[in-house]
Amino acid sequence: MSAAALPAGSPSPAGAPRSVVVVGAGLAGLTAAVELAERGVRVTVLEARERVGGRARGVEVAPGRWIDAGAAYLGDRHTALHALLATCDLKTAPTEMAGASRFALGADGAPEATVEGRFPPLNAVALGDLFERLEELAAAVRPDAPWLTPDAERLDALTAADWAERELSHPDARLFFPLFLGEMMAADPAKVSVLHMAFYLRSGGGLRYLNAFAGGAQQDRVAGGAHRLCERLARRLLAADGVLRTAEPVLSVEESGGAVTVRTPDGSYRAEAAVVAVPPLLADAIGYRPELPARRAGARTGRGCAVKVSLVFPEPVWRAYGLSGWSVNAAGPLLSTVDDTPPEGSPGVLTGFVTGAEAHRYAALPAAEQREAAFAQARRLFPMLPEPVGFHLTDWVNEPWSRGCYAALFGPGDWSALGPALTAPHGRVRFAGTETSTEFFGLLEGAVRSGHRAAAELLNS
Amino acid sequence: MSLDTPAVTPTPLNTDPPLNADPLLDSLTALFRRVLELPEVPGDGNFFLLGGDSLVATRVLSAVARTHGVELTFEEFLADPTPAGLAARVGSATAVPATR
Repeated sequence: MSAAALPAGSPSPAGAPRSVVVVGAGLAGLTAAVELAERGVRVTVLEARERVGGRARGVEVAPGRWIDAGAAYLGDRHTALHALLATCDLKTAPTEMAGASRFALGADGAPEATVEGRFPPLNAVALGDLFERLEELAAAVRPDAPWLTPDAERLDALTAADWAERELSHPDARLFFPLFLGEMMAADPAKVSVLHMAFYLRSGGGLRYLNAFAGGAQQDRVAGGAHRLCERLARRLLAADGVLRTAEPVLSVEESGGAVTVRTPDGSYRAEAAVVAVPPLLADAIGYRPELPARRAGARTGRGCAVKVSLVFPEPVWRAYGLSGWSVNAAGPLLSTVDDTPPEGSPGVLTGFVTGAEAHRYAALPAAEQREAAFAQARRLFPMLPEPVGFHLTDWVNEPWSRGCYAALFGPGDWSALGPALTAPHGRVRFAGTETSTEFFGLLEGAVRSGHRAAAELLNS
Repeated sequence: MSLDTPAVTPTPLNTDPPLNADPLLDSLTALFRRVLELPEVPGDGNFFLLGGDSLVATRVLSAVARTHGVELTFEEFLADPTPAGLAARVGSATAVPATR
């Protein structure tokens, strides 16, 4: 009988650890924790923040109406996430994208364009050439082991900016490329390797799937917010006699005498195994004894560069003008905007993404200037906007307990150095987190799959 | 087995191209198959109903420019987004002008 066929709540298989400490109460850590706890393992989850959810965070924009300040979207191919949502009695809601788009892709001060659909008013052949080249790179990657891709050494040494400089000749392709990469993976092209870019596009299902709303990775949202999934999982953990300790950042993970000791400023926790489920930059900052044979992040591993800004209005007024709320802009701070109105239909929420290099600049501004710049730009794009009744900004770049969002950015050399050890156990320590999933890396789905993998490794050990 | 079921007879090998061979249409149909990742695409298959979107459409336009030397706009593609429609447009763009 396979382990997967056992009903939840059944005793853990012989050989599996009787106790596990999980580091990080994000989606990956909680997925693993619940799976283990519901199989009879004594689980303690240690979380640095006061809340669960990690890069999934909800903001209540009106009583009972929530938006996602972090991870938000999912599509049909995100099967593990859909299954987990179902077991947590959560529903999804389609992303509203009807109407025309706004584009400000000319020189500063050039008029904005209104266009049906989502296609930017740029040279279609030049953009097609860009996408053909990207698709070709993505198709050539070995998705399960990018460091074994033919020509990996060269692709891992080159930055995406170097690549664009050499390969893209048309000004429209050069203009659109960094915007596209910012949107797809919150990356500054100068900071990621070509191998990572190609891998990311492939891992997420290819350019079309990653880019699309309907029929793609942004088709749906979690009704009530993606953070609710983590809250439900935390509840399940407690119901299965698990322990959740927040505001306890982990300092070290030490193995000796057949046990793991996890230390925080407040105490130490012993268990038969541990799962470290935090992003690579944070996993690398933990002390390990014995030392890790390979680092979890390198000197060039970057933070996903995303600041998410949400402007709240009484109603989504742009809809009455036939606009979808979608815009793409050559100048910041808001490089793209999207209608983020809760599924209930109000309040109207226009969410802007500040990504790539622009995210660092914008994040450093005083709060009043951030608000003013975001609203001024939104007003140029959508002149019908009234004064906002709410403003929410999440600076993921400088979040100490995420160090970036959507996901870590693997810089030159990272895949060659970090890749082979990404999912390798270190004695009694396992690693999880969306960056350890070669399937849907950087997405909610990757986090869930990594949590399942880590739990399965322990249950089958 | 009913009596009117025809017996299966091997089709004679025919290496001649079919009478209505249209290399341009064949090439554009093959292009649709490649970018849409589909094993079959009919000549009158609508690109968007077959799962295409604007991003993938630009890949068609880029490939057409590379292969046939014709640069079409996104709007021109939208007018009849089928291999046959595209063939007609590429055909007329590449036809040798009668005058001048």
